[in-house]
Amino acid sequence: MDNNKSKTLIEFKDVSIGYGTTIVHNNINIEIEKNDFIGLVGPNGSGKTTFLKTLLGTIKPLSGVIEKDNIIFGYVPQRDTVQPLLPYSVHDVVMMGRYSLMGVFKNPSKLDEQKVDESLEKVGISDLRKLNYNSLSGGQRQRTLIARALAVDPSVLILDEPTNGMDTPSHYSLLKLISELHNQSELTILLVSHLLSDVANLVKKLMLFEAGRFQSGLIEEMLSEKNLGQTYSANIEVKKINGEYHITSRHSE
Amino acid sequence: MGSIAAGIICSFLGVFVVSQRVVFLGAALTQAAVAGVAFAFLHLLNLEDLLAPIFGADFMSDTFFHHFEHTFFSLLFSVIAVIIFSQSNRQNLLTKDGLLGIIFVVAIALRIIFIQKSPIAEVAEIESILRGDILFIGAQEFYTLLIILVIVFLIFSLFSKQLKFVTFDSETAAAHGINDRLWLLIFYLTVGVGISLTTRFVGDVFTFAFLILPASTALMLAKRVTGVFVYAIIIGSAIPPIAIYLAFIYDISSGPTAVVAALILYVIVFLIKKLK
Repeated sequence: MDNNKSKTLIEFKDVSIGYGTTIVHNNINIEIEKNDFIGLVGPNGSGKTTFLKTLLGTIKPLSGVIEKDNIIFGYVPQRDTVQPLLPYSVHDVVMMGRYSLMGVFKNPSKLDEQKVDESLEKVGISDLRKLNYNSLSGGQRQRTLIARALAVDPSVLILDEPTNGMDTPSHYSLLKLISELHNQSELTILLVSHLLSDVANLVKKLMLFEAGRFQSGLIEEMLSEKNLGQTYSANIEVKKINGEYHITSRHSE
Repeated sequence: MGSIAAGIICSFLGVFVVSQRVVFLGAALTQAAVAGVAFAFLHLLNLEDLLAPIFGADFMSDTFFHHFEHTFFSLLFSVIAVIIFSQSNRQNLLTKDGLLGIIFVVAIALRIIFIQKSPIAEVAEIESILRGDILFIGAQEFYTLLIILVIVFLIFSLFSKQLKFVTFDSETAAAHGINDRLWLLIFYLTVGVGISLTTRFVGDVFTFAFLILPASTALMLAKRVTGVFVYAIIIGSAIPPIAIYLAFIYDISSGPTAVVAALILYVIVFLIKKLK
């Protein structure tokens, strides 16, 4: 096995994804490598969730092979899908991340408590551990769910629309945290968003989802005006100012 | 004591039912259970005749075995309803609300048909069983309820981690490698068996009311998850004996009295919380 190959965590070989007999995307051939930071961008209904579920193994690919030996996923769902009526504390929620690693009849050990503490520390909410999850702000809830995903010591962290519905300060604060998690611990991250501008200046690689069309590559390749114009069937302008991408749609007269 | 056991079972399971936002599951399962009891009176399958030689019991003289068929079909109908309901997690075409509504009305329709086709002599007995009464829980029914209580507590204690995770966030539980469909099925089956058997012994009105009211009151009172269960169990166990006493004093039915008493407590707690 060569050096480059050894960094590959997940490989899709001619994979078709979909439900039942409906193919959402086919012939997907991609490699996800250690320390990758990938943005998954596309409008609602473009197949991002189907791709994620297939990657996580909760639905099977319609055809093809996905190689992902011994990968532990840390998953952060969309915040709105987690709205408990029971008054779980932040600690309770983060500890749930450890449940999949414990035996069926085992209680949380000192190591589990330690991992929970470390995860809370990493996302900067150690002081909130005793608070009721329902009493938190949107940003604090999102950090709690990220801490729960980190508690499994994941090989790959997947975040599904983490900034959805957040105010601007919380939005950028959360993107900064995700970026820091990637830089500090070389964590492989897949960040799902329906906003290209959200991830363009954050990630190294991009997967673009459109109805029936899937493409992936390095951010520089993917963000060419020609490519985006074809993908979105629009006249798109891409400028790089002070190292940051600015993507706008040109309105024709 | 039987009414206390039934109150504890319902209020404990009710915490999960209410917090999972599937309150209508309680209504659907209680109706499935009573449809099962009504079906038993059609005597299409005489299980008692089949089982008598095996256990060597005289089913007509043994109270427990005499009611075995009602209990069995009540359980069977509820389990079938739970299995149908659990398909809402697999199919995009079926919504939880829609499925529960279908189970609810079909169960009521079946109950009416089954009672119409039952021997006339037994209609009064059927109505009595379906209505239930916490005042007339016998020793054998009490022990059965006690066994259900222990089994329900055991299942939710032994598998608390898995059940907690899948009921809190099944999507992430599945992503983290926990078989969410299996654990949700175990969860709903346990709830179904508990609801079915308590309905069989104390009636559908008491069971459904005690699934909702103690848990809803407890959710307003408690600040921690454990507290919700403690408050719900205290309310579920305290109200039935008080209701029996009031029913005796005022010569009214004990089951509905318990429901009204639980509602009064709920309203008091709600008003106190609102005025604070």
